[in-house]
Amino acid sequence: MKKEMICIGCPLGCSLSVEYGGKTIQQVTGNRCKVGLEYAEKEVFNPERILTTTVRVKNGHLPLVSVRTNKPMSKNRLFDVMNLLAKVEVEAPVKIGDKIVSNIFNTDVSVVATKNILKKHQN
Amino acid sequence: MNEFTSRDVDLVVIGGGPAGLAAAISAKKNGVQDLVIIERNNWLGGILPQCIHDGFGLEIFQEPLTGPEYAQRYVDELKTLEIPYMLNGMVLEVTPEKEVFVASPRGLFCFHTKAIILAMGCRERTRGQICIPGTRPAGVYTAGVTQNLINLKNVMVGKDVVILGSGDIGLIMARRLTLEGAKVHAVVEILSHTNGLPRNIQQCLIDYEIPLLLSHTVTEIHGQNRVESVTISPVNENLEPIKGKEKRITCDTLLLSIGLIPENELSKTCGVELSSATGGAMVNENLETSVSGVFACGNALHVHDVVDFVTLEAERAGEGAAEYVLGKPRKVERVRVEAGDGIRYVLPNNILRDADLELSIRVTCPGEDVSIGFFDGEELVTTRKFRKVHPAQMIKIKLKRSETRAISTLKAEVLQK
Amino acid sequence: MSCKSDVLVIGAGVIGCAIARELAKFKIETVLLEKETDVGSGVSKGNSGVLHTGLYYPKGSLKAKLCVEGRLMFPELAKQLGVPYRLCGKQVIARTEEELEDLERLKAVGEGNGAQGLTIISGKELKKREPHLDALYALHSPVAGIFPPYLFTIALAENALNNGVKIHVNTEVLNIKQVNSGYKVKTTQGVFYADVIVNSAGLYADRISAMIGLDDYKLYPCRGEYLILDKNCSDLISSMVYPVPPKVAGVLGVHLTPTIDGNILIGPSAEFINSREDSRTTKEKVQQLIEGARDLLPSIPLNQIIYGFSAVRSKITPPEEQTSRDFIIREDIANFINMIGMESPGLTASPAIAKLVVQMIKERIDVEEKTDFDPVRKRTISFGEASRAEQASLIKSDPAYGEIVCRCEHVSKREVLDALDNPFSAKSISAVKYRTRAGMGRCHGGFCLPKIVEILKEDYGVPPEEIKLKNLDSPLFVGTTKGLREKEESE
Repeated sequence: MKKEMICIGCPLGCSLSVEYGGKTIQQVTGNRCKVGLEYAEKEVFNPERILTTTVRVKNGHLPLVSVRTNKPMSKNRLFDVMNLLAKVEVEAPVKIGDKIVSNIFNTDVSVVATKNILKKHQN
Repeated sequence: MNEFTSRDVDLVVIGGGPAGLAAAISAKKNGVQDLVIIERNNWLGGILPQCIHDGFGLEIFQEPLTGPEYAQRYVDELKTLEIPYMLNGMVLEVTPEKEVFVASPRGLFCFHTKAIILAMGCRERTRGQICIPGTRPAGVYTAGVTQNLINLKNVMVGKDVVILGSGDIGLIMARRLTLEGAKVHAVVEILSHTNGLPRNIQQCLIDYEIPLLLSHTVTEIHGQNRVESVTISPVNENLEPIKGKEKRITCDTLLLSIGLIPENELSKTCGVELSSATGGAMVNENLETSVSGVFACGNALHVHDVVDFVTLEAERAGEGAAEYVLGKPRKVERVRVEAGDGIRYVLPNNILRDADLELSIRVTCPGEDVSIGFFDGEELVTTRKFRKVHPAQMIKIKLKRSETRAISTLKAEVLQK
Repeated sequence: MSCKSDVLVIGAGVIGCAIARELAKFKIETVLLEKETDVGSGVSKGNSGVLHTGLYYPKGSLKAKLCVEGRLMFPELAKQLGVPYRLCGKQVIARTEEELEDLERLKAVGEGNGAQGLTIISGKELKKREPHLDALYALHSPVAGIFPPYLFTIALAENALNNGVKIHVNTEVLNIKQVNSGYKVKTTQGVFYADVIVNSAGLYADRISAMIGLDDYKLYPCRGEYLILDKNCSDLISSMVYPVPPKVAGVLGVHLTPTIDGNILIGPSAEFINSREDSRTTKEKVQQLIEGARDLLPSIPLNQIIYGFSAVRSKITPPEEQTSRDFIIREDIANFINMIGMESPGLTASPAIAKLVVQMIKERIDVEEKTDFDPVRKRTISFGEASRAEQASLIKSDPAYGEIVCRCEHVSKREVLDALDNPFSAKSISAVKYRTRAGMGRCHGGFCLPKIVEILKEDYGVPPEEIKLKNLDSPLFVGTTKGLREKEESE
């Protein structure tokens, strides 16, 4: 089987062509580096993405804190995580790197803050 | 007598975004003690705090940071270096005598300064500027404003969205809106190719099955009070809508990602010469403008794609400003740099010969296996080859001292194959 | 809710507001009804903002008489109401010898109507005043002026309110019945009773009139589109520039009008349309406006267009007729004063129309003049236009003057708060825009919109889904960022 894809490993965005069968990659063409090879394999069998979004903050100087998954997560569960995060409200203060949700859906992926939020009226 | 508050400083940096932050840090590190950043928002970081996606800092930090994280690195350094800054400060005017008038809740200030760094960033092109016909309902937004509302103000603009413009900002917002539960019906692009990075096409459109309609544009907006639909139409080679092929898309929001314009109203008030090709100031390799002691960097100088290059450019501007403030001797002999065929613009606009330098270039058309030649009059001084070039990707070219030693003019041109 | 007044004015456009303000001078109860969320929501805010000389109207017509009267009344009125204006003058330019005859004819008409100071000048003389213009001759009118029509309307309404007139917005008239010696008016906000009704409903005046059985009037909606140029272009012209009027009924031709703030208006176009609600802008007219502008001023830079808008005129002249019909200001049945077809020069004439209508009312009901009528409405402070010393002083008196919300027009937070505190309770982005100019600049809300949204949230507790652009049906947002997913989850 063949699959076309664009590598998202870096801004170059090489167009990859991947031949695979069953659970093995047979050939990858179009990549300019190793990252592309690794990406191709993952993308075919277990596509993953870094999720960046926001989470509501209580008593913060801003109403939202920007967050990210600390490592790529399963692409198929992006919307599930979005729905989960829609119900989360974190209490200020928040620091970059704080874990907002740990081990999401029992994986080793956590959602961490990417912005500092002070308590309201502190600044 | 309620006069304004006067302050004497050595350097005013206008704008506390990535350009202003890096420029101020660089100026301080290079010896300027008495400086201040004036920022009109009530936060530092400029546009970065709302750019919550990752991909920033690959060049400088070798890791894909989110916008807020990238900004925080520089805010932290700013605070460590104890560089003063003013939030909620709007510069009203910069006079040719380098008086900077600032309105802030704490008062009206007039900074008398030796040097100025213009780092005001850019603004977005609006619906009105491209005269999209139709009604004028609620629900028409530019992408940056939408990003601010969604990511900073906790406000969702709409549920059914059509996006005009497939540059990176439009693509990023397509994904963002979809993730938060809106439906993006299409991204419409007037050109036959997208300006966005290929990986953004993958992770913002293909991932979410959002159609990309190339060679199409929005020809009318409908809805008396709130957007109800938009008419889109394919376009011909001259980018004119082809009659009879229009289609309506029902939606409640039209998002516009149709270009950025460097902010230079203040540059004008202080007499800086602007370039019609970039929309920003004309500068030399120290980023100094036509007004002695006034420097420009970042999106105010020319619209950037990669924030790391904004930082690097701003650091040079900071160095240049420091040299000026400290009264270092200034070289006068300059060579004018011009853009020739196939080149939209070259920065800087004038250079010292007999020095290593880095040029920033944008081409007019996409191409593969392209050679850019540098001419002194008729004579070809040097060339550089590129596998792939695109107007949406700024090219950095380093020229060695040995290459520029004997030139009297310099013109960059795309060479015919 | 049920309310009784002596006079009920329907329609808070500039004419309705001028009449209300005039009525406020008397010891009677006056009520002003407006179906939109704010006063001046129709053509009163979508026109050239010109104080006309009176060159175009047949001698003896209401248009001619009231235009000149209104123009003469204006300076005093503008001063009382704190409305800025500039007598910038007007040039009607002739590019051919034949057009010179048109200029002479216009001059004669104008002088016949009482206009002073009209002179025909040479192209050379014109060049001295307007270096960017080329023409053979020009008819120069020094008395023509410019002012912001939306601000004038708001000022009239505020002064009327201040002097006891009751103003109800979001109140649409549904039907009118004659009862006893007066009228019963059913609206979306309850019933109003009045002895006298003034129909200043503009684009809907024919429908209001029909409610009482006077359904002979027919309106021919005629749309006018405009383009606005950036203030960077303010050097191009200092006075209004018109071509010789085209030979089409009641149309002035694409002209250039400077605004008091330094923009230039191109337009209006004139297009008869089917639906009076159709205030779109069109590709064809934008093209025509650009061509018309280029025709007058070849150096017009098109990349300085910041916006296009349109408004619909209430014309009673059918498209096929050559000469424009006069205003209809008529008491068709007792105590019901109709005003139909109040297109240009309705704005200039408005103070004089108000006096005329009040005169008609005086013949019907006994009115006694107030001794405590306060004609003054304090001029709104514009931070952006103040001197540096004034700005320093303003900020010292109130730090909210120092927080700039509109980066293009330098509008301060205090001005935005004052606009949101307007007495008509119009809390919309448009209400802020027309009172402060925030959002009218080159970035068109790019900087100020998120800031105004924050002010509405923090200072007024308005949640995002309730923030409106203009009227109640124009929500800007659907809720909070997490709102769509939260809703999905609970469904």
